[in-house]
Amino acid sequence: MSTHQNKMTNVNNEQDTNAMVEKQIANNIIELLNNRAQQLTAPEKQRLAAARSLAVNQLTSLQTQAIGHHGINQSGSVLQWLGHHVGEYFGHHKRVSAVLMIGAVLLTFFAVQQFGFNHHLENSDAFLLASDLPPEAYADKGFNAWLGSN
Amino acid sequence: MVRIQLRLTGAILLLALFFSGLAMADEANAVWAQLTDEQQQVLKPLASEWDTLRPWQREKMLDIARDYPKMNANKQELVKKRLSNWSRMTPYERENARKRHQQFQSLPADKKVELRKKWQEYQKLPESERARLRAESPDTYTDADLN
Repeated sequence: MSTHQNKMTNVNNEQDTNAMVEKQIANNIIELLNNRAQQLTAPEKQRLAAARSLAVNQLTSLQTQAIGHHGINQSGSVLQWLGHHVGEYFGHHKRVSAVLMIGAVLLTFFAVQQFGFNHHLENSDAFLLASDLPPEAYADKGFNAWLGSN
Repeated sequence: MVRIQLRLTGAILLLALFFSGLAMADEANAVWAQLTDEQQQVLKPLASEWDTLRPWQREKMLDIARDYPKMNANKQELVKKRLSNWSRMTPYERENARKRHQQFQSLPADKKVELRKKWQEYQKLPESERARLRAESPDTYTDADLN
């Protein structure tokens, strides 16, 4: 084994030892915290809950600011970004949004009318007159009775 | 702002509905001379009796004139040929015809062909026999249905 390889092995062993020591310290801290947590008084628990709530609120406000400045938040919510910008656009262009809204309502109105018109067309008297059978055939009660008896 | 937009849109829709209703009511009261050339051309078989028709009858006939251009030449010919008889039918007969026409439309093609043949057979019956059958058949609609 060369001198260089020996040095590398020593460095690796030292790193492993440090990691093990750190892990041991962390375990000790966890153990201590767990033991101490069971002995917490009510006021201490209340203060901890308040501190946690404060930290969460601060994080939420930071994330909201990040969406405003960078477009996409940390979780990459593109839809949220798009909704925010579209909302901002309509907020700034109120006339355009008013015209678009009226246009959409009128379009829906005429589409509904057209649908009703087409439905009416199928049942209109004009199509009855142009039917395979003359209107007398449909209106003749005798024909209907004769069909029933045959 | 959104509230103003909604009110504005509602007002526009109400105006549109109001004016379309007004136009329809005006048309139903029009005498023969007030009809357009296109309407007169379609409704020509009814020219002599147009001014005696009730507004609701005129409205139905004007509906026919409106749908007429959407048909092919053969169907247009049939409409013109059958229009006079149609206008002379009673409300009972017309309502019966509309109901039966709807039923006929929903039949399969082979049943329609069969029914056409049956109609031809029925017409070959003596008039007295057909009159007897008509007299023995009760009215499908009551007065209340037609009001």
